[in-house]
Amino acid sequence: MAKYVLYRLGDAIPTLFLVLTLVFIAMRILPGDPALAALGPMADPVQLALFRERMGLNEPLPLQYIYFLWDAIRLDFGRSFISDVPVADLIARNLPHTIYLTIVSVLMGLCLGIPFGVFAATRRNRPPDNALRIYSLIGYSIPDFYLAAILLIVFSLQLGWFPINGAGTGFWDGLHHILLPAMTLAMLKSAFMGRLTRTSVLEVLGRDYVRTARAKGAREGRVIYRHGLRNAMLPLSTGIGISILATLSGSVAVELVFNRPGIGRLLIDAISERDYPVIQAGVMMFAFFVILVNLVMDVVYVFVDPRIRMKS
Amino acid sequence: MTEPLLDIRNLCVDFGPASKPLRVAHNISFTVGAGETVGLVGESGSGKSMTALSVLRLVPEAARLSGEILYGGRDLLALPKRDMPEVRGKEIGMVFQEPMSSLNPVMTIGAQIEEAILLHERMPAAERRKRVIDLLRLVGMPDPEARVNAYPGQFSGGMRQRVMAAIAMACNPRLLIADEPTTALDVTIQAQVLAMMLDIRDRLNSAILLITHDLGVVAEVCERIVVMYAGHVVEDADVHTLFSRPRHPYTQGLLQSVPTLTDTRKRLYQIPGSVPPAGTITQGCPFRARCPKRLDRCAVEMPPMVTQGPSHRAACWATAMEAVA
Repeated sequence: MAKYVLYRLGDAIPTLFLVLTLVFIAMRILPGDPALAALGPMADPVQLALFRERMGLNEPLPLQYIYFLWDAIRLDFGRSFISDVPVADLIARNLPHTIYLTIVSVLMGLCLGIPFGVFAATRRNRPPDNALRIYSLIGYSIPDFYLAAILLIVFSLQLGWFPINGAGTGFWDGLHHILLPAMTLAMLKSAFMGRLTRTSVLEVLGRDYVRTARAKGAREGRVIYRHGLRNAMLPLSTGIGISILATLSGSVAVELVFNRPGIGRLLIDAISERDYPVIQAGVMMFAFFVILVNLVMDVVYVFVDPRIRMKS
Repeated sequence: MTEPLLDIRNLCVDFGPASKPLRVAHNISFTVGAGETVGLVGESGSGKSMTALSVLRLVPEAARLSGEILYGGRDLLALPKRDMPEVRGKEIGMVFQEPMSSLNPVMTIGAQIEEAILLHERMPAAERRKRVIDLLRLVGMPDPEARVNAYPGQFSGGMRQRVMAAIAMACNPRLLIADEPTTALDVTIQAQVLAMMLDIRDRLNSAILLITHDLGVVAEVCERIVVMYAGHVVEDADVHTLFSRPRHPYTQGLLQSVPTLTDTRKRLYQIPGSVPPAGTITQGCPFRARCPKRLDRCAVEMPPMVTQGPSHRAACWATAMEAVA
């Protein structure tokens, strides 16, 4: 088991290295002069030269590459062009909010989506199944900013049940603030996960071992949850991984509508302001998350499915 | 005669709309006595598996069952659906055809056998664990203490079929239904699995309903044989009578197509034609198109099961005539 994790971890390192290299190349071939971008078109040529010198932009490319890698390994991403705050600080300030939102919304999405999917799968082509089909269709088609705005108008502005914006302070206030944005994302996720669960469970319930479970005298609930869902978890855990990644990087609209701090917002602002150090750090961080989530999912597979354990 | 353990009466299995049903089993009637081993024989598509699954009501959801299946005098088809789990596994155990896919791949075999006990009997966990080991030993699993925590993927087909048998026998059912338990296995393993089942039968004194298309298997292990063709029971006799004096032309054809060592024929006998798809024969005897003894009457009316001797019945107009004559 530990060997398998180490092996997977070993796999992740070259990937991370590759990502860093790609980011380096991308930043160098982007049109425009970083110095100009940082100081603006009105900047004094002396200042520009000074800036290039300070950022190491005059060094030969291979040397720049080595500096770049060394900085990345030390998690030193430089300072923001705009606010002059260390990028690491900016990320440290925003990331926890995004992670919190991701965890809460994915959990809520699972708690809604999996029971929906099981309920629909066991009532195939009957009203509950059709209801899920319609729910999923809406969930797939509705834009997140639109759903966020509707929920905000109904529950915050009209009913006044939830605060309108911000992240709140302290655990309970924070939870109060996060419920509505998380609910927005959870509704979209549950549409996806409900569909996925339905398909996987239906597939599994047709298997011979499910009939064996029934022949033993297992009641339907046990057949579905013990034998059905456990086996359906494999494709489902892939879906959960994708969903986590999508929320980490794709909750910008929700963060904007609810005016929450978060990594998505940080990045969008950085892109519109050409704040290269922040963009660069953000891209690296997302790549890191993709690798991390995939790694965790690989380990989860091993726990869910003993067949993978036997092969490794 | 004492009451049989299992008494199937006029069982019909229908698929499709009620207005235009597709009938895959027609008025199936036969019995299995306590401790008796009965073979249910027929080609694929003859409805034998559907009949077996009907006993535990494990047929696909779209199937409709009618008739009576009396088990210990109780009609299983009349039981409320929620009472069936009490019968399954506890009163009647079942072994399926496909050992490779009939076990849950993500549960240890021990947990799967244990579940069968857990569902029907209350006992301390340690005792249950011991029972699982005993069952594995009973079905001839080598080194059961170590193998109990292994997953199905770590076993061969023959070993998995032993695990299936252990599951089916976990609560000492009085009836074991085995649906082609050896079909997916190598010949050498087949013999081992059959020997194991007979050994279990003798030790626990259970009745066995063995579904197979292999006449060699039934000759070896069964006391009585029920032959099915295209959804009908066509002959029912004790094993000696059936092999020495088969009365239905289909059974006769089946027996002729079994190769023997002393065979001098150049070519193996085969019954001409093939089994008609379910629903295509709506009138008369389903075997008539392939039958060497067919009469005009066969096209009009399905022959009833006629007693041919003690414990011997067959459904054929031609032999019914011979019996009278």
